[in-house]
Amino acid sequence: MVQFNAAPAAATLAGGERRRSRWSLLLARYPWLITPLALLVMSAVAALLSDHFLTVRNVTNILNQAAVLAIVSVGMTVVIISGGFDLSVGSVVSLAGCVGAAVMVRGSIAGGVLAGLGIGLLVGVMNGVVVSLLNVSPFIATLGAMVLVRGAALLFTGGVPIVNLPETFTVVGTEGVFGIPIPVLITALIFAVFWVLLQFTPLGLKIYAVGGNREASRLSGVAVNRVTIAAYGICGALAGAAGLVLTARLRSGQPTAGEFYELTSIAAVVLGGASLTGGEGKVQRTVLGVLIIQVLSNSLNLLNVHSYWQRVLVGGIIIVAAAVDRFRRTA
Amino acid sequence: MKARVLLVGLMSLALVLAAGAGRAAAKEFTLGVSLASDVNPFYIAMANGMKMQAKETGATLRFVTANEDMATQLNGVQDLIAAGVNLILISPIDAVASGAAYDAAAKANIPIMSIARGAKSEKQTAFIRMNEEQIGEEVGQWVVKQTGGKGNIAMLSGPAGASFAYFMAQGFKREIAKNPGLRIVAELHSGLTREEGLKLAEDVLTAQRDLAVIYAANDEIALGASQAVQAAKRATIKVTGLNGIPPAVMAVREGRMALTVGLNPVDWGKLGVKTAVDYLNGVKPGKNVYIRHLLIDSSNAQSIKLPPPPKK
Repeated sequence: MVQFNAAPAAATLAGGERRRSRWSLLLARYPWLITPLALLVMSAVAALLSDHFLTVRNVTNILNQAAVLAIVSVGMTVVIISGGFDLSVGSVVSLAGCVGAAVMVRGSIAGGVLAGLGIGLLVGVMNGVVVSLLNVSPFIATLGAMVLVRGAALLFTGGVPIVNLPETFTVVGTEGVFGIPIPVLITALIFAVFWVLLQFTPLGLKIYAVGGNREASRLSGVAVNRVTIAAYGICGALAGAAGLVLTARLRSGQPTAGEFYELTSIAAVVLGGASLTGGEGKVQRTVLGVLIIQVLSNSLNLLNVHSYWQRVLVGGIIIVAAAVDRFRRTA
Repeated sequence: MKARVLLVGLMSLALVLAAGAGRAAAKEFTLGVSLASDVNPFYIAMANGMKMQAKETGATLRFVTANEDMATQLNGVQDLIAAGVNLILISPIDAVASGAAYDAAAKANIPIMSIARGAKSEKQTAFIRMNEEQIGEEVGQWVVKQTGGKGNIAMLSGPAGASFAYFMAQGFKREIAKNPGLRIVAELHSGLTREEGLKLAEDVLTAQRDLAVIYAANDEIALGASQAVQAAKRATIKVTGLNGIPPAVMAVREGRMALTVGLNPVDWGKLGVKTAVDYLNGVKPGKNVYIRHLLIDSSNAQSIKLPPPPKK
C-alpha cells in the first residue's frame, strides 16, 4: 500500500531506488510542482480520450464554469491560512445572489452589487466575531451560520427564484471580452488582488502568522482577533461576489443555489496543498485545485460517464486530497 | 509528497477507467440528456425508457447530471454543447433560470427540447409533456360520475408555483364548476411529498366533517392523504392522485386510493428520444408533443402491469 512509500525523500535515496528518488527529490525541492502536474496529466489524459476536450470552446467553457467556485475558494484560502474554515459560503452565495437580484429588480444594479457584497461581508464578520471573541470552534460557528443563512435566503424569497433581472446585469454571465467570458475576467481580477494582499501587505503577513501560531502572534503584538475577523470578512464578501456572478449566469436569484460549495471549495484549497491546520496556502495553487475539480467534472461529462460514478470519483478525490495533506505533514 | 504523486496517478487512472466505461461505438445521432435528478425514481424510469428507444433507433445518448441544482444543470448543458451533441433533451429545474442553457444551445445551433418540465424560453424547440389541463378535466369528470355530482371536495394542489399542478387544478375546477352539487371546500398547497400530504390531509379531515373527495396533485400526496383517511376511519372519502407509480396502483387495487392517472415515465422517455430522432431526420413536431395518459381506478387496476420488485 501507499503508506510504505511515504518516507522522506532522503531515506529512499539511501534505499537505492534511484529512479523514483530523482522524482522525489525534484518534488521535494519544488513541492508546488505537484498541483500543476496533476492538472497537466489529467488534461493530457482527457485530451487523448476526447477530441472535444482541447477545443477553444471547451477550454473557455471550463474556465467559465470554474469562475464561481474559484471566487469562493480564494476567500476560503484566506480563512484556511488564518487557521479557520467556513462552512457558510454556499448559503452566502445564495443569500447574496437573491438579495442582490431583488435590489436590481427594483432598479439599481450598483445597489444590488453593493447589497450582495455587503450581505457577504456582514455574515463573514459575524462568523469572525463568533469564532474569535466568543471562542466558538469554526466548525460549529459556521455550521450554524450555514443553516441560518440558508433559512434566511428561503425566507427572503419565499422559496421562489427572483427573476426578470435587468439585461445590463445578466450580460455579465453571458458575454465576453475578446472571447474571454466576463466571469473569468472578474475571477482573474479578484485573484490578482488577493495574491497581492496575501504576499505583499502587512495584513497578508499577519493572516499567515495567526494561522501558523496564534499564541506567538498574540505575544508579538498582532491583534489576532481583528485579523481573524478580517479573514472571515474577506471570505464572506468573496462568497457574496460569487453569488452575484452566479446570479448573472443563471439570470435569477436562486434560494437553493450554492449547495456543497463549502465542501468543494475546501477540497480545492486542500488539493492546492494548503494545510487545514493553518499558516500555509497560496491562492495561485487553490485556483489550480479548482481547475482540477472542474476539469475532472467536465471531462467525465465529455466522456459520458454515469453520474453515479462521478459522485464516487469526486468524493474519492476529496478523501485522497485530505489524506495527502496528512501524509505531507508526517512524511 | 509521494502521496501527492499517487494522487495524480489515481486521478488519471480514474479518467482512463471512466473513459473505457463511457465509450460507445459511433452511431448516427448523439443526443445529450440533462434530467432534473438522477435519484428520483420517476427520472430513473424516464432515462431507462430513453435508453431502450435509443437502442432501437440507433442513437447514442450522453447523460449529464443536475441534482436539482440549476448551476450544475447549466454546466452540464455547456459540456454537452462542447461535446458536440446533435440535440439536447432537458427537464429544466427552473422554467426561467434555465433560459441561459437554452440560449447557449441555440447559440451553438443545437436544437433543445424540454421533457416533463417546460421552460419559458423561446429557444425551446419542442416540449414533450403531459396534457395537464385535459388530465385535470378527466379527473373532474371521473369525480362527477363517481359522486353522482354531489358532495364536498378538498384539493391538495401541490406546490403553489409549479405550472403542471396549476394547469391540472384549473382543468379539474372547470369540470367541477359545471356541477352545482359539487363544492370545493378547501384548496391547500404543499410540496409533492407523502409526509406533507399526510399532514395537510389530517388538518383537512379535522376541519371538514363532510367530505366526499380529496383531490391530490400527485401520488405521493395522495398516498399521504389516504393514510390520514384510513387513520380517521373515513374510508368512504375518495382520494385521487397522479403519476401511476407502483405503490399508488397497489393502493387503488386495495381500495386505499380511488384513482390515479398513469403517466408511464418509461414511455415518456421513449417518446422523447423518438421525437428527437424524428426531428433530426427532418420530421418537425409541433411545439407541444403530448404523452398518452390512462385513468386507473378499481375497474382496471388489476390489469395494470407493475414492474417486478428490484432484485437484491
